[in-house]
Amino acid sequence: MARPHQAQVPFMLAQWRQMSSQERRDAKTGYLALSPWMVGFIIFYAFPIVATLYFSFTQWTLVDQPIWIGLDNYVRMFTRDPLFVSSLKATTLFVALSLPLKLVLGLMLALLLNLKIPGMNFFRTVFFIPAVISGVAVSLMWIWFLQPDTGVVNTLLSYVGVKGPYWFWDLNWALPSVAIMSIWKVGGAAIIYLAGLQNIPAHLYEAAEIDGAGKQRRFWRITLPLLTPTLFFQLIIELIDAFKIFTEAFVITKGGPLKATYFFLYYFYEEAFRNFNMGYASALALFLLAVIMGCTVFVYRTSGRWVFYEN
Amino acid sequence: MRLDIAKRMLVAGSLLLLLIASVGGVGAQEPVTITWWTLASAESPEPAIRAVIEAFEAEHPDIKVDVTIMAESAYGDLMNTTIGAGEGAPDIAYFWETPWLPHTLDITAYLEADPDLSRDDYFEEYFNNWAVWDGKVVGLPFTVGANFVMYNKDVFDDAGVEYPTADWTPWDYIEIAKALTDPDKRRWGGDRPRGPFRAIWRNIGATKPYSDDSATVEGYINGPDSVAAYTWLWDLVDSGATPTPADIEVLGTEGTGPVDLFIAGRLGMATLNNGHMITAANAGVNFGVVPEPHVPENERFVHAWALRASIWAGTEHPDEAYEFLSFWAGPEGQRINMEIGALMPSLPAVLADYPDAESDYFQGFMGVLNATQTAEWRASHPCWRGAVIRAVRDAWDLIMLGEIGRDEVQATLDAMVEPAQAALEECVPRLGG
Repeated sequence: MARPHQAQVPFMLAQWRQMSSQERRDAKTGYLALSPWMVGFIIFYAFPIVATLYFSFTQWTLVDQPIWIGLDNYVRMFTRDPLFVSSLKATTLFVALSLPLKLVLGLMLALLLNLKIPGMNFFRTVFFIPAVISGVAVSLMWIWFLQPDTGVVNTLLSYVGVKGPYWFWDLNWALPSVAIMSIWKVGGAAIIYLAGLQNIPAHLYEAAEIDGAGKQRRFWRITLPLLTPTLFFQLIIELIDAFKIFTEAFVITKGGPLKATYFFLYYFYEEAFRNFNMGYASALALFLLAVIMGCTVFVYRTSGRWVFYEN
Repeated sequence: MRLDIAKRMLVAGSLLLLLIASVGGVGAQEPVTITWWTLASAESPEPAIRAVIEAFEAEHPDIKVDVTIMAESAYGDLMNTTIGAGEGAPDIAYFWETPWLPHTLDITAYLEADPDLSRDDYFEEYFNNWAVWDGKVVGLPFTVGANFVMYNKDVFDDAGVEYPTADWTPWDYIEIAKALTDPDKRRWGGDRPRGPFRAIWRNIGATKPYSDDSATVEGYINGPDSVAAYTWLWDLVDSGATPTPADIEVLGTEGTGPVDLFIAGRLGMATLNNGHMITAANAGVNFGVVPEPHVPENERFVHAWALRASIWAGTEHPDEAYEFLSFWAGPEGQRINMEIGALMPSLPAVLADYPDAESDYFQGFMGVLNATQTAEWRASHPCWRGAVIRAVRDAWDLIMLGEIGRDEVQATLDAMVEPAQAALEECVPRLGG
């Protein structure tokens, strides 16, 4: 019997037929091992995303039947919703402020933690601890730190004759205060930078040193270029994280004062769970997803120009 | 003849046996099980919940209660998903969200036919606002909660200021707060309200954020009564007699009221609730209770709440569910919770037996329970909080931050009309009004 032409059967099926029985057994084992994750992905990620897309075209209070309203939610979002504009503005400002801070300070901390001095493992642990503490607990702690009259920061400032601002409760300082707070978790980024730093081959530094390169030149010509893959990874992770800012606004500022910290996810939360406007909240969620995806794709596309791999 | 008698006796005996067997069969039927979702709290702790079930099942051996005690965070999610799905919701639960109300069982007929319980057994305002919706009885009010002003008698005595009385006005409040404030003792006279259009707003001029027919905010948000209330807030903030929001955030408790500052004697007056009242009493504070101030010629309002204990409309056992509901949220169940926990029952006859019921402060608290509630208007206007108040929050913030002058209050509220109207028009078709 003639075998069917290769092009007449799907590619994977053709591959399958060409496999030996051992290869088929291996493939089955592989798919079996993958299946829990695949099932989890479909149930907990793919399905909710598709459902969110559907609900974004509806008016839905969560407990009643959704009513199809077409593009109304999107029209409202882009044409007549001042809170959408406020929340997008606050979030963008926060990303612009916190992202460079975290990237630069994380790198600086990693360089310090890469020094070969006694007790370094202790310091690495200490700096990493904030990254695993609950966001709510950290928020409550920062309320105390930045309390205008009795907080640690303003008390220290008063010792040097500086009257500290009202921080979270000041129109101009609320957003920077939340950005400063985000530095608290910089130890998590530093540990990843540290792994990148320790992957840079020592012989490159030795060769540069023999050629007379100083510390600064070694940093700019060896460390930084070879750290760009880590920097690239960190940039994407921190970018996504910054757009998802919520806990601080929820616990500390409630979006205020005067919407200075009315972040996008906080707006989404209010619409969904206080205003029972699930359809509109779904549209907001998808918009945020699109923004994050757009930024990620942009970073990814430009990475060819500034990310260097050793090989 | 003898045979006929024997036959008849045999038939009669067989019928008797059949009857006994059938009666026995009924008696051996499985009891009906109803499901109950609830939360444990200081007012209604788990032992009280278990005791209610034990007492109910002893009284009703044909009904079993399958209780699930949940964390509050999970409760809302599970109620939303099960009610939305139309299956899996409990027979009995607290139905506290407005969108859940259409999914409650109308128990009007049950209550009217109940020889042991009637709506008159409850505080009238609590029953009307927390048990009735859309003209139907959709639950029973479980416990009572209310805001009122607690004043620290020691602070008043120290400052040589007379105690406030129930006929005081909002402007009296500011003057008294100023008289009590003492920066050297790090003491403020009183606290600030925690949001607009609560009791003081209504007490100043029956102020509402929008019209009763939910058509317009113009003339309400920026009407003379609203301007008067916001101006009163401006005066209070400007007086320097209150802690700032930053102080409250750090030194207050759980966002529900600055009871810690009050207990420490650093706040002469504070708008708190009955839970705080018990906390202060247990801490040995020498205090009194008065209603929130109001303008004498206006009706007095109180910001109050209860938990709405209801039956899910999809229940398969409405009769048994009502039996349990009327027990749990009736005199027996609320008394058990009062005796084991710290529940303040919504039935005057039961609340009268509360351990501290004879004290001055408790009598002060009892005094606010019959006042008209702000919930009366809010319950039928679900868009006020999530949509309209959010849209005018900037006015509140501007005053709290001291960013506008007293003469700018009207203009600030005028500027809020457009976003508030847009929020109202978006919300009403969705949530009603």
